Amino acid sequence: MANLKEMRLRIVSVKSTQQVTRAMKMVSAAKLRKAQDAIIQIRPYAGKLHDILVNLIAQLGSADFENKYAEHKDTKRILIVAITSNRGLCGGFNSNVVKKVEELLLTNYDSYYKRGSVDILAIGKKGVDGLKAKNIQVTKTLHKLFEGLEYRSAEVVAQDLMNAFSDGEYDRIDLVYNQFKNAAVQKLVVEQFLPVEIMEKVMEDSETHHYFSDYILEPNVLEIMKTIIPKSLKIQFFKSILDSVASEHGARMTAMHKATDNASELIRDLHLQYNKARQSTITGEILEIVSGANALNG
Amino acid sequence: MYRPKYQYMFLDIITPEKKLFSGEAELVKLPGSAGYFEVLTNHSPMISTLMEGKIKVKDVHGTISYFDIVGGVVEVLNNKIAVLVDSSAID
Repeated sequence: MANLKEMRLRIVSVKSTQQVTRAMKMVSAAKLRKAQDAIIQIRPYAGKLHDILVNLIAQLGSADFENKYAEHKDTKRILIVAITSNRGLCGGFNSNVVKKVEELLLTNYDSYYKRGSVDILAIGKKGVDGLKAKNIQVTKTLHKLFEGLEYRSAEVVAQDLMNAFSDGEYDRIDLVYNQFKNAAVQKLVVEQFLPVEIMEKVMEDSETHHYFSDYILEPNVLEIMKTIIPKSLKIQFFKSILDSVASEHGARMTAMHKATDNASELIRDLHLQYNKARQSTITGEILEIVSGANALNG
Repeated sequence: MYRPKYQYMFLDIITPEKKLFSGEAELVKLPGSAGYFEVLTNHSPMISTLMEGKIKVKDVHGTISYFDIVGGVVEVLNNKIAVLVDSSAID
């Protein structure tokens, strides 16, 4: 049986670990609230943009117009954007993304991957580490995006991706990230970023929704479309990043909550063991004293 | 088509990160792609792209405020004006 002093030290160390995990949980909860606020802030903009798009398409009558972001070319080169985080200790958050990317490479994009025509852009240090551990080559990394995340920096990245697509560098760009459902639930999604499919979705909406299409348009429909479509793409990208950030904090909060619970359980068990050991030592001592006294009285 | 007459219009100036302005306004001057234009109450519905420039807002108290923008889109519909701004130059 371990000696009493050792056990006492063990209990102290588990307790301090518990304190750390509890503090991390609190921090994540605060950060989660901030991240959630950012998602809420983007909604009026995204919603209005969508409304305008629906109205314009209703006015056009069809989604057939020249749009360099919607061209379905023969897919030759693919870019997968894996959005993870810079920090760990958040449960399966990062490894899920890594696993999904691996799965994509081995199933859907199998033939492209063998030919070496799939590139990976990893946003988040942990994603890079995870992919490297699986011997998957990461073409480009972008960790700075999370430092003081704002729309402008995300916009630049989105524009780069859009340029790469319209220049023909890639024929398809996918986003892999954790979508935020609530603090405890994240949904891993693979989203096709380019070529855009929003047109088809909007077309469906414009058939069912009541719309108003008697607008004065300045300068004209096509010009307005040309400025709105890139905007909505950038918003889509920014939203993915925000979702991922909120998911990260949610995942970490849950992970740290579980860690704190586990530590409590461990401490309880250790205390029980410690008390048993202490009691048996005392019993032993009493026995010794009694038998010693008996021998003297003999 | 009948549209009720209002005295003021409701203006929202929104960026992806925050609302720059939200409230009633009397006059809005916008940097349209074909030049500056003003929107007054009961303007007919329109959608326009915006260029780099200043938005001038006169609210119901007569206070005038300005917002620098680099581009965006505006929708005017039934005395509700939504200005979607890429990002404001001032922070």
